[in-house]
Amino acid sequence: MKRLLDVQNLNISFSGYGRTQQVLHDISFCVNEGEQVSLIGETGSGKSVTAKAILGTLPANATIDSGSIGFEGMDLFNLSKPDRERLKGTAFSIIMQDPLSSFNPVFRIGTHLDDVMRHADRRQGIPDSAKGRKSRIFETLRKVQLSDPERIFNAWPFELSGGMRQRVLIALALLHQPQLLIADEPGTALDVTTQYEILRLIKSLVVEDGLSLLMITHNLGVVRQTADRVLVMQHGHMVEQGPLQRVFSAPESDYTKSLMAAVPPLYGPNVTNQPVSDKAPIITLTDVQKIYKKRGLFTQGEGHLAVDGINITVNEGEIFGLAGESGSGKTTVARMIMDLLEPTSGTVTVSGTPSENALRLSQIVYQNPGTSLNPKRSVQQILDVPLKHMGYDKPKRRARMEELLTLVRLPVNFLSKYPHELSGGQKQRVAIARALAAEPKIIVLDEPTSALDVSVQRTVMDLLLELRDSLGLTYVIISHDLSLMRNFCSRIAIMFKSRIVEAGTPEEVFRTAKHPYTRALISAIPVISDAEEAQKPTVTDEERSQFLVANTGS
Amino acid sequence: MSQSTPKELTAAYMSWYRFSRNHAAVIGAVIVISVLVMTALAPWITPFPDHIGSVVDFRNRHAAPDAQNWFGTDKAGRDVFTRTIFGFRVSLMLVVGVLGISVPVGAVLGMSAGYFGGWTERIITGLTNVMLAIPPLVMALAIGNVLEPNLTNAMIAITLLWWTWHARLVYRITVSIASEDYIEAARLAGASHMHILFREILPNCVAVISVKTTLDAAFVILFGATLSFLGFGVKPPTPDLGSMVADGRQFLPEKWWEVLAPGFAIFYATLGFNLLGDGLRDMFDVED
Repeated sequence: MKRLLDVQNLNISFSGYGRTQQVLHDISFCVNEGEQVSLIGETGSGKSVTAKAILGTLPANATIDSGSIGFEGMDLFNLSKPDRERLKGTAFSIIMQDPLSSFNPVFRIGTHLDDVMRHADRRQGIPDSAKGRKSRIFETLRKVQLSDPERIFNAWPFELSGGMRQRVLIALALLHQPQLLIADEPGTALDVTTQYEILRLIKSLVVEDGLSLLMITHNLGVVRQTADRVLVMQHGHMVEQGPLQRVFSAPESDYTKSLMAAVPPLYGPNVTNQPVSDKAPIITLTDVQKIYKKRGLFTQGEGHLAVDGINITVNEGEIFGLAGESGSGKTTVARMIMDLLEPTSGTVTVSGTPSENALRLSQIVYQNPGTSLNPKRSVQQILDVPLKHMGYDKPKRRARMEELLTLVRLPVNFLSKYPHELSGGQKQRVAIARALAAEPKIIVLDEPTSALDVSVQRTVMDLLLELRDSLGLTYVIISHDLSLMRNFCSRIAIMFKSRIVEAGTPEEVFRTAKHPYTRALISAIPVISDAEEAQKPTVTDEERSQFLVANTGS
Repeated sequence: MSQSTPKELTAAYMSWYRFSRNHAAVIGAVIVISVLVMTALAPWITPFPDHIGSVVDFRNRHAAPDAQNWFGTDKAGRDVFTRTIFGFRVSLMLVVGVLGISVPVGAVLGMSAGYFGGWTERIITGLTNVMLAIPPLVMALAIGNVLEPNLTNAMIAITLLWWTWHARLVYRITVSIASEDYIEAARLAGASHMHILFREILPNCVAVISVKTTLDAAFVILFGATLSFLGFGVKPPTPDLGSMVADGRQFLPEKWWEVLAPGFAIFYATLGFNLLGDGLRDMFDVED
């Protein structure tokens, strides 16, 4: 096999604020022609910097200290600037990560595509008319399974769903038939079923056209689906590389082992079944319906049906999971449980007596700890708010703060820190401590780990389980991550288009899912072993198209 | 390569680093500090502190700059250098008076409109828009004519209009902050509206407010000079940059120093505040 990309001893450092920090240490790897390679690493491991070095889009404060990147025998760092530019989009191109922010909202989709094509044509000296370019663009759009290229071409970015936009981004990368496709976490911003479709598409494109693929991801399940060979990075070092089978069945480095262990299993002996609680119900929703009314002069009475016919009973001490994709109504249900929203019809009963002085029975832990902690307030100030309301005097508040930080396994000196000094996992612990400070009986967890790395996710979930046992809490968790819920929840309900389509213990749901949407959802979860893959429920293409077309929108 | 020492980067250090990289900003800070120091020490550093009063020295009138009178003397024989330094006092008093009232008022109104919404929002934004439609100079001249043309009234006139800019700015920031999760989290934890406005939202507006206020200081100095040039400033013989330019104007071009010194002083202070404001903007990473 011919070597296409050859990275040798690459050292890159960033400078800022008068000091330099090395971010890549002696990175060496190669990608052969037609090979699919996955680069795995968590936040800050240097995987995106590696991709940028290959593409030649490093930021201005980055310095290449030593090493080389070879492409088809050319040394990229020795090429002249126009030669280097000419490679972009033709020798290699990148599939952007975020389909929502990668388009300029004031230009039509076609303009984005045509601009890229026109400039690449000019660099390569290909003469083509606007009409010729359009037909080539249409051809590429059909390749990414957008069946109506005319409509896509003339659409505005906001008119397309996330999945369709991700497809257009793939088309952008494919316009000039590159030899190497670099995909930076494709589809991670999308729902799991959409992500699944996108990965299938990328894989089929790569196989059909014999392209090489460098997939950058933190999701090991995605890696198993798309890679021949795996590279694992940690803190700017390459800690392991080898064929997929070998790395997944017998990982050598401790880091790879810990990554594998942190992935929540769907099936098999390692799955945890949370015991079902038989205590009295604490939350009861009966025939709940919520319609968001449009406020306007001429639209009186019209509205958007967010949730419909919801019946849920959550017993005290239970971990109840509400799963669904974006727009399914799960957040609306959670907000009604929190008493932040009134149902349009039906009843929401939250029984139980609040602790003395507590403002309310329930508290919430938000999805993104980056936005749920005020950047201008220290941990001490953040925790002070609920404690003050509990009516504690100053020394009592201080003692309670230290107690809370110890509960969430943070050192007491973190009290003086500000959110930007904390890592994602530490921030989420502070958010949990804030929720606990108000002494709730119920905590609503809104995608509590989706903004965190896998290994951090695991420790946060373990902490939450411990807290439930020691403090006697009830959790309602809303998430789209079924693999997490499988191991964490005592009962789950699946929501689809405003309704609950399936409910039961995770074990029942995963073994004998009745509704085709549930089966499609489960089968779309990327897993890390063939044994688990084999136990997933099967979905016929007919069922998939019935329930997923509306989402992926192709 | 030089391996960096893993010393902690504090927020203050990073801000100072960004600020000090901007050389123009450092110059601005030096200018502003020099103006403040000169103003504070005016009676001790100026050669003829008594020349701010109604001193008349006809033997020395219209004297060209020399070793004794660095910027020459004016039509009454008073030292222009002394009067220019003291003239800063009036300008700075105007800055403190106008911004000291209009910035807090604007910030509180803007925050309330953005946070409470509903009728509070409608009334405050409506009022802001109406006030923004009035040209400040016309307002100042009108008030000066109806009441008495003096510094206090000029200050009132400018203050009446100036808060609108801050209200609008803070309103826009508050609207985006109000929907953040941490505001809802604070409410769920039992925080009062006062706490949310002043402890949660305000700290997030401080950067933008201080940049705007610094840039405003330059405007207010210019505006005050314009008003006193037109005769709506302080009463003579108190030295004031705008009226000094107006007085010296009739002796141009022969007695150029009488206009140039106060004119340059206005330019100097305005430039200083503008450069400093730009530097603060870099430091806080504020997008305009």
